[in-house]
Amino acid sequence: MMKHLRTLFLGTLLLGAVTTATAQAKKPTLMVVPSDNWCYQNGFILEYDNQGKMVKTPDYKRALQENSDLLLVISKINQLMTDRGFPLKNLESSLKTLESEAAEDNMSQSKSGGEVSESPTDKLKKVAKADIWMQLTWTVNEMGPKRSITFNLQGLDAYTDKQVAGASGTGPQSQTPELAILLEEAVLSQLDLFNGQLQKHFDDLFANGREVMLRIKKWDSFSGDLESEYGGEELSTQIENWVSANTVGGRFSLSDATENMMLFEQVRIPLYDATGKAVDTRGWAKGLQKHLKEAYQIEAKLVMKGLGQATIIVGEK
Amino acid sequence: MTPMRTTPTLTRALALVAFAALCAPAFAQGKKADKDTEQWRYEMEAVNTGSAGTYQLKVWSYSKNAAVATEQAKKNAVHGVIFRGFTGSGRVPGQNPLASSTNLEAEHADFFKAFFADGGKYMKFVQITNGGVVDPADRLKVGKEYKIGVIVSVDAANLRKDLEAAGIIKGLGNGF
Repeated sequence: MMKHLRTLFLGTLLLGAVTTATAQAKKPTLMVVPSDNWCYQNGFILEYDNQGKMVKTPDYKRALQENSDLLLVISKINQLMTDRGFPLKNLESSLKTLESEAAEDNMSQSKSGGEVSESPTDKLKKVAKADIWMQLTWTVNEMGPKRSITFNLQGLDAYTDKQVAGASGTGPQSQTPELAILLEEAVLSQLDLFNGQLQKHFDDLFANGREVMLRIKKWDSFSGDLESEYGGEELSTQIENWVSANTVGGRFSLSDATENMMLFEQVRIPLYDATGKAVDTRGWAKGLQKHLKEAYQIEAKLVMKGLGQATIIVGEK
Repeated sequence: MTPMRTTPTLTRALALVAFAALCAPAFAQGKKADKDTEQWRYEMEAVNTGSAGTYQLKVWSYSKNAAVATEQAKKNAVHGVIFRGFTGSGRVPGQNPLASSTNLEAEHADFFKAFFADGGKYMKFVQITNGGVVDPADRLKVGKEYKIGVIVSVDAANLRKDLEAAGIIKGLGNGF
């Protein structure tokens, strides 16, 4: 009887462990957006004031409202990606969320004193939280009655803005009058190649962690600087030690360091923490913020840019 | 002199021997064709982008028997899509193989032996287009054998799903 109970207990424990392991899995989310180039070519742009300088940015909302071909291509890619087990995040829904959160964002921006400015695209990245942006460009080539499509699909890592997958090419010339058919053919012929590269990127994520960027700054009000000694070492060394201990295989590159700032690039953070919870850049950088407070009683402010760039400003919150 | 009479059993045995003798060359050709497939002795090129998830390919297979070469094209096409990939032709892009590991065939030798057996599961994912009619320009005599180019359509999407479900290749979302 006791033996049976013990087996049952062990079985339940094992099942629990398996369930927990399954629950850890968090798939990267993907979202299709038209490229800046396509938006400019088709006149879907808006301008915004970036600290006194007018900057052009793609107007995704108007592009979705006014271009049916774009909707068709997004829908086709979504259909094929869903078939591969990767339903896409909807750009339109993300834009609506962004609009509803705009007022809140403005408030938080003024609170941070405008230290880190974000473009509308950065804001969208934060709201959509899509790990990979599938950036889409196509042009229609015409030669007499024949037409062909030059199609370019780029997978951009939202954390680093690096291209992690891509497929491009010009399709066969055709007398088909419907652009939609040519576009569908282009998607069909390129998407498998794209997914092959995406698979390699995912393999790399599992092996080496997610790549992000960390910037350290100091407030003017901070009494010391990054060369001040804490725990027998310079503060910059202590920060570097923490980053080294909290990256996959200690992978990072300290590309710039002075007494006032540090810039860590190619920082590979783990996908999950020790408890199996998915880790994002903010959560990971919060760990450093907490470490500075607990170990050296240094208050610090954490500011995010997009999904993959964290800035910690030491001295105060 | 009475004519020699054979017993029904002897007649049946003779018929069997004659049938076996007739079939033997074709059987041997089939075996050789399978060996050629295993040794990558075929060529593939893209023809067109098919409907969702299918590749239209021209597969060149070799055999002394033209019919065997035509039939083997189906096996070669699926083999090629899994292990080899194919180059583009003109403006039709090529594709990478479904297998990410070059040792996949050896790692799952038993699975693929059954998969590529005559009448095996591979047949579910391939069909000959044009009812198997081979363009005269695609029927070449090379030495003592034929090199036959056959256009086939491979259902790569479902082939991938099947191999993923069997745990032979990794799905895009594996590990998450």
